[in-house]
Order: sequence, then C-alpha cells, then structure tokens
Amino acid sequence: MKKQNRLGSRLVIGLMFLFLYAPIILLIIFSFNAGDSSAVWKGFSLHWYGKLFQNRLIMESVYTTLLVSLLATVIATVAGTFAAIGLYSLGRRRREALLTVNNIPMMNADIVTGVSLCLFFVAFFQGWGTFARWFNSIQSAVELPDRLVLGFTTLLLAHIAFDIPYVILNVAPKLRQMDRNLMDAAQDLGCTWMQAFGKVMLPEIKPGIVSGALIAFTMSIDDFIISYFTAGSASSTLAMTIYGMTKKRVTPEVNAVSTLLFLSVLVLLVLSNLKEVRQEARERLGTTRKSSALDRARQKFAEPRYLWLRRWAAGVLACAFVASVGFLSYATSSRPVVNVCSWGEYIDEDLITQFEEQTGIRVNYQTAESNEALYSLLKSGGADYDVVVPSDYMIGRLIAEDMLEPLDYSKIPNFSLIDDRFKGLSYDPDNEYTVPYTWGTLGIIYNRAVVDEEITSWSALYDDKYAGNVLLINNSRDAIGEALLYLGYSVNTTDEAEIRQAYELVADANRRGVFQGRVMDEVFQKMEGGNAAIATYYAGDYLSMVDNQADGVDLAFVIPEEGSNWFVDAMCMLKDAPHQEEAHKWINFIASTEANLANMDYIWYASPNREALERYPAYYEKRYGEELDPEIYEIMAAPPETLERCEAYQNLPGETLSLYKKLWTQLGVD
Amino acid sequence: MSKELIRLADCTMAFDDEVVLDKINLSIKDKEFLTLLGPSGCGKTTTLRIIGGFQTPTSGDVLFDGVRINSVPPHKRTINTVFQKYALFPHLNVYENIAFGLRIPKVEAKGVKVKLPEEEIDRRVTEMLEVVNLRGFEKRRTTQLSGGQQQRVAIARALVNRPKVLLLDEPLGALDLKLRKDMQNELKRIQKAMEITFVYVTHDQEEALAMSDTVVVMDSGRIQQIGSPEDIYNEPKNAFVADFIGESNIIDGIMRSDGVVEIFNRRFQCLDGGFEQDEAVDVVIRPEDVDIVPEDQGQLKGTVTSVTFKGMQYDIIVDFYGFKWLIQTTDLSPVGSRIGIKIDPDGIHVMKKSEYSGMFGDYSSYSEEYEEISDASYDPEEEDSGDEE
Repeated sequence: MKKQNRLGSRLVIGLMFLFLYAPIILLIIFSFNAGDSSAVWKGFSLHWYGKLFQNRLIMESVYTTLLVSLLATVIATVAGTFAAIGLYSLGRRRREALLTVNNIPMMNADIVTGVSLCLFFVAFFQGWGTFARWFNSIQSAVELPDRLVLGFTTLLLAHIAFDIPYVILNVAPKLRQMDRNLMDAAQDLGCTWMQAFGKVMLPEIKPGIVSGALIAFTMSIDDFIISYFTAGSASSTLAMTIYGMTKKRVTPEVNAVSTLLFLSVLVLLVLSNLKEVRQEARERLGTTRKSSALDRARQKFAEPRYLWLRRWAAGVLACAFVASVGFLSYATSSRPVVNVCSWGEYIDEDLITQFEEQTGIRVNYQTAESNEALYSLLKSGGADYDVVVPSDYMIGRLIAEDMLEPLDYSKIPNFSLIDDRFKGLSYDPDNEYTVPYTWGTLGIIYNRAVVDEEITSWSALYDDKYAGNVLLINNSRDAIGEALLYLGYSVNTTDEAEIRQAYELVADANRRGVFQGRVMDEVFQKMEGGNAAIATYYAGDYLSMVDNQADGVDLAFVIPEEGSNWFVDAMCMLKDAPHQEEAHKWINFIASTEANLANMDYIWYASPNREALERYPAYYEKRYGEELDPEIYEIMAAPPETLERCEAYQNLPGETLSLYKKLWTQLGVD
Repeated sequence: MSKELIRLADCTMAFDDEVVLDKINLSIKDKEFLTLLGPSGCGKTTTLRIIGGFQTPTSGDVLFDGVRINSVPPHKRTINTVFQKYALFPHLNVYENIAFGLRIPKVEAKGVKVKLPEEEIDRRVTEMLEVVNLRGFEKRRTTQLSGGQQQRVAIARALVNRPKVLLLDEPLGALDLKLRKDMQNELKRIQKAMEITFVYVTHDQEEALAMSDTVVVMDSGRIQQIGSPEDIYNEPKNAFVADFIGESNIIDGIMRSDGVVEIFNRRFQCLDGGFEQDEAVDVVIRPEDVDIVPEDQGQLKGTVTSVTFKGMQYDIIVDFYGFKWLIQTTDLSPVGSRIGIKIDPDGIHVMKKSEYSGMFGDYSSYSEEYEEISDASYDPEEEDSGDEE
C-alpha cells in the first residue's frame, strides 16, 4: 500500500516535470533539426547554430541585449544597494511601507510597466523638444537636440527601472540580518562612513548584492514586453528579434537562439543558487569545512597586501567596460545610418552587408510583426524609422493620414526597372511615395494525399466533406475576403449586406465544424506534418512548406477560379525621416535587379523588378545546377492572366473596418 | 583619578518630541570606572552614544578635555566602544578584527595620511591578544568563538587603538552568570592595567556596585543619583534608587525631629536630620538590617506570610498592619508565626518625598518583582528600537 503510494507520487512528480519541461526539451531537440521544419525531423545537424552566428540581425541584438543587461545591472545594483541602505536608516514603519511600494513594480504586469514607461518617455521628449527649441532660440552657443526618440538610452533607463526593485529585494534581507552596530563599530574604530561601508557593510551584504545583480541580469536578458515598448526603432533586444522572426514562421534558427537564451538564463540561475547553497553549507559546517585550493587562493587574494592587485584588476575591468561602451557609441554615432523596419525573414541579409560596404552607411534593420503593429508603433511616435515596407492597404492608410514623405525619384533610377504592372496602383496612384518590394498571391494549399479531387474553388473551404480538416486564416480581411470572392463580390466592397452575407458563409461553416482552427504561423507545422488538409496562405510560403513536407504529404497550391487577393509590399519613407539621403540610397539599392534576384531566391516571394522576374529561372539554374520547375515559377510569380483574376486590397473606410472587426470578434462566439 | 575628562552639560536628547534625555549634567574623571545604571529605556545607552559621537544631543554641550566636541564624528574621537553583542566583523578573523582600527590610515596634521607599518600593527595586536588571554586564536573566525571569547576580542579591538576612554554598552549582558562574574574581574583588571577611563552601561545593579568607582543611577532620562557604590546603597536619594539598588522596604514616615522618625505610629531612633518638623518622608529599611525578636519584645509586631530558602539566609515576608516587609534572616520563622522586630538607628535611612514615593517598597507582589529585576534574559534590543523610532 505504502509502496504503491510512493509510486503514485513519483508518477505525479514525473508527469509534472514532463509537463513543465517537455516544451523546452522539444524546442532544444528541434534546434538540431537538419531540415527547416519545426514539425518534421530530418536528422541531426548543427547547421542552425552556425547560421545563427552569421545572422547579423541576431548577433546585433545579442550585443544590444548583453550591453543593456550589463549596464542596467551595474547601474541598478549600485542604485538599488544604496536605496536599500537608505531604507534601513529610516524608521521601521516608513521602511516597511517603502518596501511594499518597492514590490509593486515587480508584481505589476510587464505590459503596464512597458506602456507607461513608453508614455512617460514620449511625454518627456515632447516637453524637452519645446524647451530645447526655446533654449536654442535665445542663445546660439549651445545647440540642444530638439528631437529625441526612443532608443538605446530609453531601453537602458527602462531596464534600470525594473531591475532596481529586484536588487533592493535581495539586499534588504542581508541588511536586516546585519548587526546594526557593525557600522557604528567600524566608525568607532576610525573609519569614515564610506570607509566603513567598504570595509564592513559591503562584505556583509555582498551575497545579497551578487544575487540581486544576477537576478537583475537574468530579468534584463529575458525581458521582452518592457523592451518592446521602450526600445524604439534603433535597437532591438534578442527577445524582440526572436519575436520579429516568428512573424512568418518558427524556424529552427529561432529554436537555436531560444535554446541559447534558455541555457544562458539557466546557467545564471544555477550560479546564483549554487552560491546560496555553498554559503549555507559554510555557515552550517563552520570549522569542519576543508578549504579547497580555490578558497585558499581567494583568501590569499583577499589579504591586505594584495590590495594593489585587486585595485588593478578592478581598474582594468572598469576600463574594458568603459571602452566597450565607448566603442559602441562610436560605432553607432559616427557613421551615417539608415533605420529600416521590415518583416522577419524578409531579406537576404547579405544585401545589408553589401550595401554597407558599398556606401559606408550603417543599416539598422529592425522587424515588426504585422502591418497593424507597425501602424500603432508609428502612431505612438516613439519610432524613428526612415524606411518601412508595409502592404498595399496599409500604405493607403499611411498616405491618407499624411504619415509618409514623398520620394525623390530622381535619386532612385532603379525605379524604372519596376514592371509597369506594379506602378500606379490604387494605394499610390501617382507613384509619389512608394517603390514596390515584393508581390504575391493568396491561394489554397491542400494535401493531395488526402484530398482526392483537384480543388478549383473557394467552396472547398466550406465543404462538409473536409470537416475538421480545413484551416481558416486568422485574419478578418483574408477570411471574409475569400468568402466575398466566392460569392462573386469585390474584396474591397463597402456594402454592409455583402460583407454580412460573406461573414454568414464563414460563420455557418464554423458552426458545422468544418474548420479545425484559425491559424497564422501554425499553418506551416499543420500542413507540413499532414495534420490538416486544406488551408489558405501565401504562394511564397507554400513553396517553403513543400520543401519541408513530411513523408506521405503531397502539397499543392491553387488560385481558385473565382480569383483571389494579390498583394504588394512596398518601400516608403516616413514623414520627416531623419536620414532621407541614406533612405533614398537604400531604396534604390534594394530596387536593383541583383538585389531583387537575391531576395526572390531567399524569400520566394515574387519580385516587382521586370528584369529580375525574367532572369530568375536562369539565376536559379546557375546557382543550383538544375532547372527551375516552371510550375513552381508560376506559383511564385503568377502569370499576368492569373493576376488579372486577382484583386488587391484597398484601404477601407473606418466604418467598414469596424464592421470587419465586430464580425470577426463575433465569429469566436457564434 | 583627579582631573575631569568628559563633561556633559545640560544635555537633552529628543526623538520626534519624545524626550529621551532631560538636561543631563555629568562629569567623568580621568582613569575612573564610571557606570551608568538604570532600567531599560532610562537613557543610559543614549548617554553613551552621545559620548561616543553616534548621536548629537538636541541641546547642551559635550566637552572633552574642556573642548566642545558635539559635532566631532566618532572616527575623530579618541574614544572606543565595546558594543552590545560585541559587533565583531564576521568576515574577518580574530587577528584582523583586532587590527581593524590600526589599519585605517590616520590623518595627521596638514592632512597627511599615515599608515602604521605592518610590524607595529603585529606587535600591538599580539600585545592585546596577551592582555585578553587570546593567544593562539588569531586565525579563528569570530563566529567560532564562545561568548566570553568574543567579548574579549571586542575589548581588545577597542583597546588596541589606545583610547583615552573606553565605552562599554552592556558588555556582559549576553553571558551566563558564572562567566559574567569572571569577566567582571577581568574588566576591572584590564582597566587598572591600562589606566584608562571606562564608562560602563548596565542594568545589573550588582555588576555596577562590584566594579565601579562611581555609579550614576538613571531613570526616565534623568540622573537620579551620582555617587560611590557605598553612597548609592547606603544613602539612596529617593525611592527609585533605594528600590533599584538592592532590596528595600520603603515605608511612609513622619519626621518628628532630628533623629526621630515615626512609622506606623511608633517612634524610631535614626541618624538622619535636617528635615522640617513633622515632614512626611520615605523611610528605607534594608531587609538585612532588621532583627527578629520574640513578639513581645518587638518594636513592631507582625505575621510571617511566606518563607523562601536562599542558601545563606531565608527571605521571609512579614505582614505589619497590612504592609508587607521583606526580611532576611538566618533563623527560620515558620509561616503563620507571630514575630517582633527591632531596627537599630543606623539601619534606618530617611529620604525626602519624591515623584517615586509610593511606587516601590511594598512586597505584596514580591515574587514577580524579584523575577523582573534579576531577569538575565533582558533584551537590550528593546531599548535600541526605542531610540531608533
């Protein structure tokens, strides 16, 4: 009976740990996957780790993360330690009250902290701008910058702000344990307060300071939400970069970098726990502890006669630190720069390096996760991007709201290489603001191993035959748009009755259980692994799914006979962009045939560059030594006659947008 | 023991309107052993901290050798302190604890910092270890020492700096009784050997009487009496001092004339004088000054209500007309027996009435009071937190 009980409790504990750690273990395993799927195992490889270190976006954000975390940790540790000491010189009641106040930021939702810090900074920048303009107008000796934006400094300040409570929380108990008379005793024996602090208090509370610093560092390293709101456009932490990369799909590269992030946080936690355990053991064992060689060396090092050595070591470390910070600020400030915000996995990164080598302009390449996220980021006023790459309907909205700067096409000779089909589109009819980046089509992807007929119509999405096997795209515009097309309406209709009719079609299928779920990025895993039979997604992404499909899965892509949506993502420059010259150079560079070929090959989305589009099959053959399957080429770059059947999204009026929003929320409840 | 070294003149200390010290005047002579004695919260620790420089009096002056030192920080005073619970540095071994003060560079004239040479430090630390009998303990961690050893490290750490004055704040409070007696002798020996002034804070009256040249009895932030241990014991100034120092029966009396005091309507011969005729007074009669006689021969007659065997004597409580006396005697008188007492004139001490009159001296709640006074587990922290708030 007893034995059984023990077995039972072990089982429960085992299950609990499995539940806690299985996702992470899975992530670590798939980071060694040779293929680029997150669902299908194609053998062991370190390929993604190697790729990781060549990925400049990731390496830059690793550098930013480490620098921010280190600086924030150092500053927060010093400030937090002194704050804790200050708290301890107060009366008990006030101290308790303040310690409670100190705990609130830690319990507070990160998102609230992040948003409020962002608001605070933006409000400060506005006040500062007014002050600086006034100050510059009354004198000319000192020129104050009047336009401050979110960036590394605000990121650092935010990290310091949320790190300090953790330091206080760790230092406070050590102060409480410390005999209050120790400081008096040291001063009694001839120390000034600062000497007493260094010689007596510091050694006493050091364990608390060290664990506080370690926790602050850990918190800084893995923070995402607060960084997201305070980093602005110029800097991106590792967590933010990972999030940006998952916009399109979770690649094993993301798994690899997440694995490394997990391991480094794990190591930090183990370190801080080990320290505690060892300290406890030392206190418990007292005299019986045998000192190891390391301890003896450390003791020797701690002797007063090695004071000079300790001072030198500290000095060298401090210099190294200052030098690295200095180098960073030199590297970022002295060169011309262009701030670009695009989508994750949406550029061949060699292009960035090439551009930098050719022009000497540093590219600060950031990513956003959706058009809507980009829009709200720009609206909040915190970002100072020069170039963004929104989709057609969003461009229309940005133009309507006067958020874009007209381009000087004389500086973009490569614009002439853009095919006429992609010029003068409805979002920018007179070609004043944009240069197309990519284009593509939405279509039905289905597994021929399950679906035994050839799908030609959107009707398949609503067919009971495939109940539980259809994935609905989790995006109101696309999901309702498909239904509109099926019903023979325009995807840009503003007729409420038509939209409601389309919605009813989707909702009815939903009630009948046709849809397995509503997905965006999950579509890759589902379709590659054969877990769903039908989905709608973009042509370029279909190609990467085919590459990763599991054995027994046979994916096909079709643009239904009713037509579909086709989209253009285009480069545009934001109003009052600070680096307009550099921005024009960048846009011209990316519009070149070579850059378009490289991008087309890398992201499998069609190029708007006429030459690149024509030359791509030859490029492919030369590069991979085999002919490009014409069927694949046709899917990548839909031929004109197919494109004719497709319609691009236009920016819808406000009331239609809110109707979409309302219906889409309702679908979850129906 | 002649010249005045420290003077507190009208020193008042208040924390947020709470007056902890009320116009203290105190003179400390060179090379004397002075004890500040009083219950917790009486202001003795605050007085010590003012002398040490850890607190600045709200008003009044602190003079050292005739120089005002109110705002001189602790590290610039030639005064060292032995703290409650020792306050040894846990991260340093015995040797480094003692050497701590010597390793701080001293700023000499013209702002030049002078560091003692290592040999000098070593010589002085070794010498101090000798004085406190701790040779061979140099490399020990202080947490591995017994209470008495820690105490001696604390004394050595303070004395190694050759202060003119050593302040000791309840230094024996945390030791057990036997060790406390040993350390009392040890401290007295060290004070004699080093020829420096000791200012000692305690709540233990026996300790104060045994060690001091001068005892300062304090209560409620005021000095109640200053004097030699004998003065304090034999000639308490008021009911508080009489009660706090030793055991006392304190009875209301009336001074009929010089040398004659009336208690319970009976006249007793005494040695005191200088009062108004018929002035109401407090009369102190020490339990050991009372002789038990057969009932019919007694000046007062009463009933024994309790007997406690104390080894050397019996403590008996006797009820005289509803007032309970403590009497110490070697002869057993059983509970319930009727006895008489006689008191010699030198066993009677007459005091002026004071604010403390009527608060002490009745032994009807004898046992609890005794417990409280000799409570060894008294927590000095209470006083600390009182100061802090």
